Amino acid sequence: MIKYLLQSLRLYLYQAWLSYHGRYSITSPFGYISSKLGFPFFLMLFFIFMGKFVGYTNPLYIVIGNVLLIPAAGSMSGVTNAIGDERSWGTLSYVLGSPAPRLPIFMGRSLFYILDGFVTAVLGFAIAAGIFHLDMATINFGMLLLCIFLLAITSSGLGFLFGSISLISRDGWIILNTFLSALYILVGVNFPVGSLPSALQTIAFGLPLTRGIMAARLVLAGAGWNAIRPLLAGEVLVGAIYILVGYLCFRLIEKRSLTSGTLDAI
Amino acid sequence: MKALRWGLIKQQMLVTLRVRALHVLSLGLFVIQPAVFTAVGMLLSHAAGNAMPDLVYTVIGGGIMGLWSGLVFSSTYDITGDRYYGTLELIVGSPTSLTTIEAIRTLINVLTGLFSLGLAFVAALAIFGYSLQGVNFWGAGISLLLLLFSMWCIGVFLANFLAWSRLSGSFVDFLEMPIAFLCGFMYPIRVLPGWLQTLSGVIPIRWALQAMNESLLGNRDLPFLLTHWAMAVGISLVFLAITGWLQARVHDSIRLSGELSSI
Amino acid sequence: MHPVAIEARSLNKTFITKTGLWKTRTRSTLAVEDISLTIERGELFGLLGPNGAGKTTTVKMLTTLLLPTHGTARILGLDVVQQTAQVRKHIGFAFSGSRGFYNRITATQNLNYFAQLYALDSAITRQRVPQLLELVGLGTRGDDKVETYSSGMVQRLHLARALLHDPEVLFLDEPTVGIDPVGSRELRQTIKNLSSLGKTILLTTHYMAEAEELCHRIAIINKGRIVALDSPEALKRHISGDSVIEACIQPGQVQGILDLLRVLDGRTLVEVKNITEPETVSIRTPEPARVLELLSPYLNPQYIQGLEVRNQTLEDVYVTIIKAGGQ
Ligand SMILES: Nc1ncnc2c1ncn2[C@@H]1O[C@H](COP(=O)(O)OP(=O)(O)O)[C@@H](O)[C@H]1O
Ligand SMILES: [Mg+2]
Repeated sequence: MIKYLLQSLRLYLYQAWLSYHGRYSITSPFGYISSKLGFPFFLMLFFIFMGKFVGYTNPLYIVIGNVLLIPAAGSMSGVTNAIGDERSWGTLSYVLGSPAPRLPIFMGRSLFYILDGFVTAVLGFAIAAGIFHLDMATINFGMLLLCIFLLAITSSGLGFLFGSISLISRDGWIILNTFLSALYILVGVNFPVGSLPSALQTIAFGLPLTRGIMAARLVLAGAGWNAIRPLLAGEVLVGAIYILVGYLCFRLIEKRSLTSGTLDAI
Repeated sequence: MKALRWGLIKQQMLVTLRVRALHVLSLGLFVIQPAVFTAVGMLLSHAAGNAMPDLVYTVIGGGIMGLWSGLVFSSTYDITGDRYYGTLELIVGSPTSLTTIEAIRTLINVLTGLFSLGLAFVAALAIFGYSLQGVNFWGAGISLLLLLFSMWCIGVFLANFLAWSRLSGSFVDFLEMPIAFLCGFMYPIRVLPGWLQTLSGVIPIRWALQAMNESLLGNRDLPFLLTHWAMAVGISLVFLAITGWLQARVHDSIRLSGELSSI
Repeated sequence: MHPVAIEARSLNKTFITKTGLWKTRTRSTLAVEDISLTIERGELFGLLGPNGAGKTTTVKMLTTLLLPTHGTARILGLDVVQQTAQVRKHIGFAFSGSRGFYNRITATQNLNYFAQLYALDSAITRQRVPQLLELVGLGTRGDDKVETYSSGMVQRLHLARALLHDPEVLFLDEPTVGIDPVGSRELRQTIKNLSSLGKTILLTTHYMAEAEELCHRIAIINKGRIVALDSPEALKRHISGDSVIEACIQPGQVQGILDLLRVLDGRTLVEVKNITEPETVSIRTPEPARVLELLSPYLNPQYIQGLEVRNQTLEDVYVTIIKAGGQ
């Protein structure tokens, strides 16, 4: 039993490293930072100026929301692409054809993307605090880090879901990209969820991230643990559901591909 | 010009369309993503307490975003696809130069992106009640042509850069939003700080777009339009010249590193 | 017309690869070292060598796809570095592997596209594409998407693509890899036919038998260097009339048998191939009768389970040459 667990753990870490390293052969620290922060940073500036033009007076709201979405977007697209890549490199059938336990293989793909997303978001906050003079004095840092970490984990569930889609269709990542862009409307990144039409609000609360971002905003406004606890609990619950659904999808598609032989078709 | 044979253009169009564009999912790229940008603009405007969003910048601007991201995305996809399929070295090894192929592909990509812009325009007219009254049609028309031309020049430049190395893909990623935000795709340039306005002057798209937006808003000031058009054309030509100069170097460099066939 | 089809002078290629995250280390691989070749028009020339020998790298330099680090090469008298555009009009090349086509479109659509890249007239294209598909045995599959092809079928399609513009000089990089025995026999016949039409063909392979069957001359290449270059007949002269005796020996008994053979002089070479169970001992000798006499008392399943006597083949020569280079 212990041996099995140890083996699973080893497999998990190995899988995690392989999956991450296989995708990013980053050669310089500049390459790392620019590839992670470049796009979100300029997208954020774009939204800020859009806001400025229409008379939206709270650019900090946009800054915070966009930084909080970085780990989510990172771990989501990381996991999706990790699975999609293996399909196109043709390594997926080796992995799935092996007798290795499925759960570590499956979860292993997300570990480094989650860590990566977490680190990028913290970096993003540091940069944003410098540029936009975020007032950090009253903030409980432990709680903020917790929120960011949680956001990275819960969004990996969405990653698995889209990763499974990219197993069925080689264009899964287009769906992901489209969906990712929709997050800029739905989860309260640029404006409060409350200002959405009510149908969209329902969708928003069915997604991970919405509550987590609200909680992080409260923390940044100086709120205490009691204020954010229900939000975090909700975030964990929704996130867990998505991870579970993602895992089931993965297994289902694995089974299906055994009969249809579509696993490595590109 | 002999290089731009119609047969080649036609074949390239067929291949591009079949390989990529005629796919339900390209709706995401050309319809949904621009719509999301428009929606963000409208909701921001709503949250700021405005009754009506700005139709030119927020709705038609969404179409400009679609045109531009479509172009960047397709150029990246074309060349990484060719690396991935192993066709890049077959194209380079043929008597037709890679630059010719890229010029044709970029043209196709710009024209495909026009779909986004058209859709946004129709949406502005049909859904949001955009009125054509007072629009400077000739100004907008000429500006649109120049906008497409400058996008094409930038696109050819990017495609060349992308062919250079596998890694340039991440730099182009890095360029997509900066250009969108510097050129004021969904807001007038004047909301940018002064130094950014100056900086944006080196991008030809900015001049053509500004002329187009102003014309849509009814500007008929000929000297204003003429200077903007001249800037758009002039800077585009500079980019073309740089591309021509780069092209030979890129061609040598990819043959030196063996990066042609690696994925 | 230039009499020499392919001429390479001291071609060298060093690849520089960078690794490392913070400090980048550069590693250089000498893939091709000092290769010189002269191939006449109409010749079918084989470049034979193990994986990683530098065959593909050589072909890529000759086909203008890779710049040599040193050295020059000319195709039909045209320099591959300076006169790239002209060279490309006259050559056709096919690489091995399942990449090289747009998978989502059909074989015919792929070929139509490449025909345009070679500026082929559309009337000629319409006529030639089906012919070529027929030639490589894909006549009925032309309207299927390439993603539905097996790797052997893609391999044939490579050849069809290379022939589109009816080039004078043809480079085929491991053309029969992944093709079944019947298919590769057909393909070899096709290559012979092309050669008899007067085309110059440079073919790479790691199958000795294929090179022997097809090529007028063979260069054996190992670790980037040419280690032998001659016609198959001349290479066979290295064979020296020795016989090869392969004996399957019970595991525990090998040492005893080797001791037994020690009485023979230096002309007999004994090699233990540690790959099978029972182990195989290969004995190359000019005096097979003597060896058999020595072994005969042990010809029972306790010692020697099986015995094969054959003449030395070109394959043995190849293995000897490559092994000699390995030391
Ligand atoms: N693009 C490249 N970058 C670095 N090394 C390479 C590259 N291409 C080939 N090599 C190296 O050059 C050597 C020769 O390779 P290759 O010509 O492909 O061999 P062959 O075709 O005979 O199997 C190998 O050691 C290979 O690893
Ligand atoms: Mg090879």
